[in-house]
Amino acid sequence: MFTSLSFRQGIKHAMGIPAVGLGSSMFAFGAYLKSSGFDLFQSFASSFFTFALPGQFVMAETLVAGGTLLNIFLAVFLTNARLYPMTVNLIPVIRHPYYPKWKYYILAHFIAVTAWFNMFAIHKTLPQEEKFDYFLGLGGFLWINSVLCTVLGFLISDFVSHKILVGLVFINPMYFLVMTISNLVEKKLITSILLGSFFSILLFYIMPDWSIVISGLLAGTIGFFIFRKETNDQ
Amino acid sequence: MTSNYIYLSILVATVATYSCRAFGVFSSRNLSTESPIFHWIKCVSIGIISAVITKIILFPSVGLLIESSLASRVISTLVALGVYFLFKKNVILSIFVSTMTFLLINFYI
Repeated sequence: MFTSLSFRQGIKHAMGIPAVGLGSSMFAFGAYLKSSGFDLFQSFASSFFTFALPGQFVMAETLVAGGTLLNIFLAVFLTNARLYPMTVNLIPVIRHPYYPKWKYYILAHFIAVTAWFNMFAIHKTLPQEEKFDYFLGLGGFLWINSVLCTVLGFLISDFVSHKILVGLVFINPMYFLVMTISNLVEKKLITSILLGSFFSILLFYIMPDWSIVISGLLAGTIGFFIFRKETNDQ
Repeated sequence: MTSNYIYLSILVATVATYSCRAFGVFSSRNLSTESPIFHWIKCVSIGIISAVITKIILFPSVGLLIESSLASRVISTLVALGVYFLFKKNVILSIFVSTMTFLLINFYI
C-alpha cells in the first residue's frame, strides 16, 4: 500500500499548490493558537486529530470565549458537517473490493476540502484499483503537511509579521474558491454553487448557526432537480 | 482555561469532526456512482462548500480574518475570479494576486 506507485503519485499530486494552499493557513492557525494560550503539543494535537481547519478555528474561538464542551461540540459539528456529504460522495468513487471496509474508516480522516477537490479533479484518469492508494498518498500528505505547518506556525510566529499571518489565512478561502470554480462543468453543480452562496447570505441573518448546512442542502437539492436530466460527469 | 480542559475541547472537536466522516463512510456502503443519490449528494457537498466560502469571506466570525475589512475581502475575491478567468485559469496567479490585493487594501491603503 505505502510502496505502490499510485501512493507515491498521490503524494506528488499533493506537493505544490494543494500543500501550499492548505499549509499556509495551517501555519497561521498555529500562530493563532499560540496567541490564544495553547501549548505546542495542544496545537499539534488539534491538527493531528481533527484536520478540518474551519472547525479547528471554531473550537479554539469557542473555547477562548468560555464555551462549554457542548457548545464546542455543536459549533464544530455544524461547521464540519460538510464532511458527511463529501465522504458519502468520495468513498464510492475510490471503493475497490480488494480493500477491507475498516480501511475506509481510516482513510476518511484524510477527507477535507482540498483533498476532496483534488481527487475529483483526477480520479477519472486512474484505474479503479489504484484510487485508494492514490487518495491515501494525496490526503495523507496534506494531513502530515498540515500538522507540520501548524507546529511551525506555533514555533516561529514571533518572527513573522502579524500582517503576513492575516494574509496567510486569506490564502485558504481563495484556494477553496478557485478549486470550486475550476472543477465545474455541469449546470447542476454551477447552480448549486451560486445558490449555496446566495442562501448562505440570506440565512446568515435568520439562523447563523445552521445557515451553512441548510444552504448547502437547499442549493444542492434545487440544482440537482432542475438539471437532473443533464448528463452526469461523476 | 486549564490544560486538561483544552485537551478535552480538542477531543470533543475531534469526535464532532470524525463522526461526520465515519457516518459518511457508513452511509455510502451501498451507494453506487451511477445512483441519482450519488449525484444529488455531490450537488449538496458543492453547495455546502460554496456556503462555507461565502461565510468566511462575508461573515468571518472567528480567527484572524476578523481583523480585515469586508471591502478588502470582497474586492480580493473579485480579483481572484477576474485573474482566474482572464489568465487561462491560472490558479497560482489568481491566489497570489488576490492575496496581495487583500494585504494592500488592509495594511497599506
